[in-house]
Amino acid sequence: MRNVVVTGLGLVTCLGHDKEAVGKRLKELKHGCVAYQPFEADEKIPIHVAAPVPGFDTASTDPEDWTFPDDIHFRLEQLKGLSPNALYAHFALKRAIGDAGLEKGDLSNERTGLYTASSGSAAMTHFHLDRMKRFGPLRCSPLGIVASIAGTLNFNLAAAYKIRGSTCGFVSACASSGHALGFAHDEIALNRQDRMVVVGAEDFTLDTIVPFAGMRVLSVNPDPDTASRPFDKNRDGFVGTGGAVALILEEESIALRRGAPILGRFAGWGQATDGYHVAASHPDGEGLANAIRLALGQAGWDKETVDYINAHATSTLAGDISECRALKSVFGSSGGPAISSTKALTGHALSLSSIMEASFCLLAMQQGFTPGSAHITSLDPEAQGLNILRESLDSAPKRLLSNSSGFGGVNVVLAIEQP
Amino acid sequence: MATTKLNQEELRESLKRCPESAIEAALEFNETRNPDLLPAIVLGIIERFVEPDVRPVIREGKDQTRLLEDLGIDSLLMVEIVILVEETLSIQIENEELRNLRTLGDIKGYLDAKIKGLPVPTNKNIFNFEQVVATMPHQAPFLFLQEARINGTEADGSYHISGEEVFLEGHFKGNPVFPASLMLEALGQLAVLFMLKTDSDAFGGRIKPESIYFVSCDGVRCHKMCKPQDTMQMKVALKKVHAPLAQFEGTILCQGARVAKAEEISLTFELESSNEAGVEQ
Repeated sequence: MRNVVVTGLGLVTCLGHDKEAVGKRLKELKHGCVAYQPFEADEKIPIHVAAPVPGFDTASTDPEDWTFPDDIHFRLEQLKGLSPNALYAHFALKRAIGDAGLEKGDLSNERTGLYTASSGSAAMTHFHLDRMKRFGPLRCSPLGIVASIAGTLNFNLAAAYKIRGSTCGFVSACASSGHALGFAHDEIALNRQDRMVVVGAEDFTLDTIVPFAGMRVLSVNPDPDTASRPFDKNRDGFVGTGGAVALILEEESIALRRGAPILGRFAGWGQATDGYHVAASHPDGEGLANAIRLALGQAGWDKETVDYINAHATSTLAGDISECRALKSVFGSSGGPAISSTKALTGHALSLSSIMEASFCLLAMQQGFTPGSAHITSLDPEAQGLNILRESLDSAPKRLLSNSSGFGGVNVVLAIEQP
Repeated sequence: MATTKLNQEELRESLKRCPESAIEAALEFNETRNPDLLPAIVLGIIERFVEPDVRPVIREGKDQTRLLEDLGIDSLLMVEIVILVEETLSIQIENEELRNLRTLGDIKGYLDAKIKGLPVPTNKNIFNFEQVVATMPHQAPFLFLQEARINGTEADGSYHISGEEVFLEGHFKGNPVFPASLMLEALGQLAVLFMLKTDSDAFGGRIKPESIYFVSCDGVRCHKMCKPQDTMQMKVALKKVHAPLAQFEGTILCQGARVAKAEEISLTFELESSNEAGVEQ
């Protein structure tokens, strides 16, 4: 198996778009949640807080109405094929490419692939289908489909960057970008590709976030400072966010040969499924515990050598408890690695969350800290005994795991270590 | 078949980002169905969909302005334009009819006939990019023909040099120039399309696409260079057929200036057998 390293990182998140600034906010536990006015405009919507992406306004279903930073110019026919998350993805990938120091030819060749994760664009799907039903299919934008369905990131980014290696989109709900990263790791480890671009991106629109209110899993807390509070016994659900994160994975010797910055080593990953419920995690976190053991096995790590775990913990009752039990079943009921959920700062980014949190881990390793779990005033009894960080540490983890779980009981765990 | 007619407010909303003159013309057309208003409406809709730097070309309104080469309107953007034109004029444009629209003049003539209920002009001898790709044995990255039209014993066609052609990286380093040898190749490809698609019986039957090969080229002169973003306007004329050889002369223009000329391009070919050609026995 070949070694896989991360050489580029690009972010478009509610905490900002700049690596240094995002790292600083993670360390200082400064969240990106706000009282979100569009929720207040509709009295049927019971939620108040969201974590919007600064610098972008994609509320309209007409891409020509969008506002975004001016460092990328889109031709009209390109813009009309974008969903909001593909727009974010373009910016994140541009930043990751710059971070990794890649040239055009490094991306467009048969040994470089692209894996993406997205749930598609509910807002664009709704808009185009509504138009189709009202005016007929011949009045629909020819690019409406590529701007809507879950593969929208692959379509747009592969065409824009002339990707010629393996390309695939992953749809496993909130574990999607974890799967994209894991399989991208394997493409390189198994010598099928030398370099993989991995991008996760999710719309920030009412149509993406509000439907979760129907499951009663969104926080109705109107206070942005406490709405997202994983591991707190008074949590009442998650806060919605969107954005994009792009990572560049490369085979280690190739990255070293071109003098690339090595942000971290992707040591392995594991995935396992609960096989329990369509929407809820197994109460004892069986699938997640198995995924953790598999990730440790592929990385070749003893569990005692793990310094930090970035938990999936969304701030929902069932999910957080299940994860606490999974962690205890692997690491024991006392001590163990430091654990936090950065979703206290960002809210839950759905299919983007796994790669976003992996990127936060890489930033923490690079900038020398371990992020704490914010907003806990009363620790959930299920978390008692676990080493839940309440404040950030001034030291970086050497070895860490990043957990993700999604609908259908899928679980993905990524193992990352300092280079 | 007429489509749903929009009210004034819906029409104005649909046409937002079009020039105000086009919106006003559309509102008036909605009431009067006066075909004299069509150019202002259609040019305004096209202008709304193209990049700002080519909008002045549309405002000139020349009939010979080409949609792909001069305005950068590809087939999907064309569909966007068609949808808005259909919505604005309450008409239905068929896919087959779309293929014949290559220039602003084609569009104006087409819509004028459509509104007046006259027969729509058709031209089976026009080949858009998709048809060129479906016809030619040559394929990317070695296809240097994007559109073509056959007219009697002549064919004209075009190729837009995008700058993304991989050989331009080395021809030359830091100074991309479309190779003269490939200009001749492009002319030869236009001749191949003519041989495969002409309605005339000049060749004595249908030619096997995989049988056509280059033989010789005489009297070649290159006058100017072609570089990225140039569009080569090519023309070939059949000089004579002496089976298994066919001889053409060819010229290439770029922005009206002569770029290259070949007095005699010879290609060899074989005919389909009557069975293969699908002729009844």
